[in-house]
Amino acid sequence: MSRFPARPVTLIVGLALGVALGLLYTWVIDPVELVNTYPALLRTDYRQGWVRLVALSYIADGNLDRARARLEGLEQEDVAGAIGALIEEYAAAGRPADTLRSLTGLAEALDVRTPAMLVYLYTPAPSPPVLVHTPLSAPTPTPVHTSVPPTPSPPAVPTLDPTHTPTSQPGSALPSPTLASAPGSTPLPSPTPSLLSRLYLARQEQVCQPGQTPHIEVVVRDERGAGLPGVEVWLVWTGGADRAVTGLKPRDGAGYADFNAEPGVRYALSVGELGRPLVAGLQIEACPAQGSEAPAPGSWRLVVEPRPL
Amino acid sequence: MVGLALGFAVGWWLWPVQYTNTAPRVLRQDYRDDYVVMVATAYEAEKDLEQARQRLVLLDAEKPAAPVVELAERLVQVGGSAEDITRLARLAWALGALPPSLAPYLEGRP
Repeated sequence: MSRFPARPVTLIVGLALGVALGLLYTWVIDPVELVNTYPALLRTDYRQGWVRLVALSYIADGNLDRARARLEGLEQEDVAGAIGALIEEYAAAGRPADTLRSLTGLAEALDVRTPAMLVYLYTPAPSPPVLVHTPLSAPTPTPVHTSVPPTPSPPAVPTLDPTHTPTSQPGSALPSPTLASAPGSTPLPSPTPSLLSRLYLARQEQVCQPGQTPHIEVVVRDERGAGLPGVEVWLVWTGGADRAVTGLKPRDGAGYADFNAEPGVRYALSVGELGRPLVAGLQIEACPAQGSEAPAPGSWRLVVEPRPL
Repeated sequence: MVGLALGFAVGWWLWPVQYTNTAPRVLRQDYRDDYVVMVATAYEAEKDLEQARQRLVLLDAEKPAAPVVELAERLVQVGGSAEDITRLARLAWALGALPPSLAPYLEGRP
């Protein structure tokens, strides 16, 4: 019996076996040795860590050319994601405004945009901050708060007691900041007492929502009732202080900022300048009991507006 | 044998393993150097030693301070940036690994 018909099969099987063994060796046993890679090949989290390091280094040395060179070859998506996250993280942690300005300056140079950086880009660098109004239109009368009977609220919306004044603007972007100093421009002297020096507590409302974490919401408005972004708000208590900047949560309004708060602690609130409290002795209080349920701790919503000139 | 040769050709040359998820440890030397300098600079900004140590572990898991000291000494030899050397020296000191040769940089007297 001839063995000839079996030869092609043998050849093919041998070839396949050889290729398989070869690939096993080159891909698994002894793959191409990995050396001399570059940042763009790093794993995603390491890549973002690289961008973060670049940004942190920029904070320290301020060398934009060096930062750009270090980011060369990386996708804009990676750069934007990591720097945006760092800015948000630093803003939420209340890092010094100078640090955030430096970071946002880098972000702007790299075409990265986040809501938090807009706040710092348009916050005047000199301290204390001086706000000058852009003369867009004739001043309108300051709305005078009058007591309004409680209005029914939909279940998903926080219930305000005694009044409910919704200010959130779902989906709205940060409005153009009304602060005067734009990057690179010379701050204009204020011809009138600064807005911050005229701020006062216009309204204080308790917010009661089932399951909520006690907190203090602050809304800073200008004379026209529009939210003011980029205003520093300080919450001070015995043994501690916290800082927030309005406008970091655009969904809640451009002038909005909030703090977590604990029952039994007396808080003082300052806007713009630490040490000039607008509210003192503020404490978390229980909401009115509903039915047989134990009263839950309520939150506060403070609306701050400038006194009319 | 022919099959084996084909397998080698495909595996090493035509279609080698694609590495996209690499670690800082395998970066090219100049990128590694830059990484170490950035860790030292970031330490200056953050003052977070544990964070710096974790970043350095990605280069040398057993001796995280080693890349810092090695780079600083190399920069001293080649006349590198005094600012970078100072930052590296500060980090090396914080990690408890400052060699005497870098002490002058720690004191701001390179």
